[in-house]
Amino acid sequence: MSPSSIVIGRIALGQAHIIDVPQSIVQTPTTQSASVVKMSAKDSSAYGQAAGDTDFRKKYDLDEYAAKAKDREAAEKEERKARWEAKMAGKKYYKPMDGSETLTTARNATQDFRKLVGTTTLVPAGAGVGKRGRSAGFYCEACDLTFKDNLQYLEHTNSMQHMRNIGQSGEVHKATAEEVHARIELLWERLQEQKRDQVISLQERLAVRKEEDEKEREEKRRKRKEAEEKRKLAKEEAVKVKTEYGEDVRIEGEHDEDDMMAAMGFAGFGTTSKK
Amino acid sequence: MSKSEYHRADERRFLDERGSSGPLAPNGLNPATIMEKAVRERIVDSYFYKEQCFAVNEADIVDRVVEHVDFIGGVYGTVQKPTPFLCLAFKLLQLAPSDAIIDEYLSFGGEKFKYLRALALFYIRLTRQDKDVYTLLEPFLEDRRKLRRKGRAGTSLMYMDVFVDDLLTKDRVCSTSLWKMRKRDILEDLELLEPRVSPLGDIEDLLDEMDEVDGNGEVRNGDGNHTDGDDDGSSEGEVRSRRWRKSSADRLSPQGGDSMDIDGPDDRRRSSGERSP
Repeated sequence: MSPSSIVIGRIALGQAHIIDVPQSIVQTPTTQSASVVKMSAKDSSAYGQAAGDTDFRKKYDLDEYAAKAKDREAAEKEERKARWEAKMAGKKYYKPMDGSETLTTARNATQDFRKLVGTTTLVPAGAGVGKRGRSAGFYCEACDLTFKDNLQYLEHTNSMQHMRNIGQSGEVHKATAEEVHARIELLWERLQEQKRDQVISLQERLAVRKEEDEKEREEKRRKRKEAEEKRKLAKEEAVKVKTEYGEDVRIEGEHDEDDMMAAMGFAGFGTTSKK
Repeated sequence: MSKSEYHRADERRFLDERGSSGPLAPNGLNPATIMEKAVRERIVDSYFYKEQCFAVNEADIVDRVVEHVDFIGGVYGTVQKPTPFLCLAFKLLQLAPSDAIIDEYLSFGGEKFKYLRALALFYIRLTRQDKDVYTLLEPFLEDRRKLRRKGRAGTSLMYMDVFVDDLLTKDRVCSTSLWKMRKRDILEDLELLEPRVSPLGDIEDLLDEMDEVDGNGEVRNGDGNHTDGDDDGSSEGEVRSRRWRKSSADRLSPQGGDSMDIDGPDDRRRSSGERSP
């Protein structure tokens, strides 16, 4: 809606107000206030003159929403009636099937709840009372329910309520002997395939293992060499320390002999064998 | 079960009706009460049943057996947890598969997956008529594959032929009371069954041969009657073999097998095919 149209509406309404008030004064006060509220709720502000700086607000089509509400109320009434009838008949109420339901099929994998261990889920504040809505636990999208343990969750997924919500009828196709035969064959083939894969992967594993062994040995060799190097360096260092004293650690007269030997080209008396 | 072309996904209606409106098993028993109530409730309460036996049909049973069944047994452990084997047997009672499907389980699937065969054998014993039980089960007395069995006390080794023999002769297997069948010789007298031919040959010939050999430890048993002393299914494999030897000795003695050394040192493996009627 453009701003100009709003202005027009406001003017028109303002006029309507002026005209309307004397008429409603003649009527009872309650109906007058009701009509004023209704009018102002529809198009203008409660103070008779709409503010001009609220154009950014969303404009609601009130008629559309009224129609929606009417539909919803009708549906709810119908459901209430069906529930009541089911209760009178001593049965449990389920949403009626509309013919679009699919057959229920068996799960093809176990639900692994262990993978949830250690995960963190954000939960809205104020959640966590009862099962309704999303809160901490096992959440069912279709039914908007949260369960506190996996057993409850599993029982819920087996329930008729859940099946209706995900559009399943709770009926299972009966298999024929041919289907059973085909399934056995399929499973057997899969098993054989796995076995073949296993053989290949065993050889591969052996190769990988060999490689790993080689690496490990290399690592050991490197470490040994490093340690040797270090020892050697330390020894040389020790020898150096013996000969190269700083001036500050010299004690008068004590190192004369060492100095002399260093000047002559050897470090000390003792074995000449290389260590 | 009420609709012909669909199964119900859960067991609720099956258990609620308790056979009042559903079809009976071919042997006239109510499938909902074949297993005992305590066991039934344990099964329905078990996590495996709730998760893996929901919305399963006859073909999915094969999946489940291949994936989850690696031992037979009834309830095990101190909490008496039902085995997947027992859960699936219960599911089969609900599904009530046809003879053609049972045959697939037994022969085509059974060759490939031994636990599938064991399950089908167990199911047949629970639901089929006595003469069908004998004719369907006896060929598998020659199946000598190993089975693992879990009982309350622990795991033990078992063989397919021993399992079949238990099904034919015992009255309690896998935490389930088996219904009382007529004995084989009665059915033979009624001419419902042909006399059984043992894969080892004629029993008289065997006995003569044994007399000639005069107490060779290798040749064991070979009796045709089935006065079985075993009465409780909760026996464990460790004590079982001993007792089997004892009971077979009991059985053999009136038939002139006095010279047989049944407790021979090489008696590590029970021979198949002879114990059953």
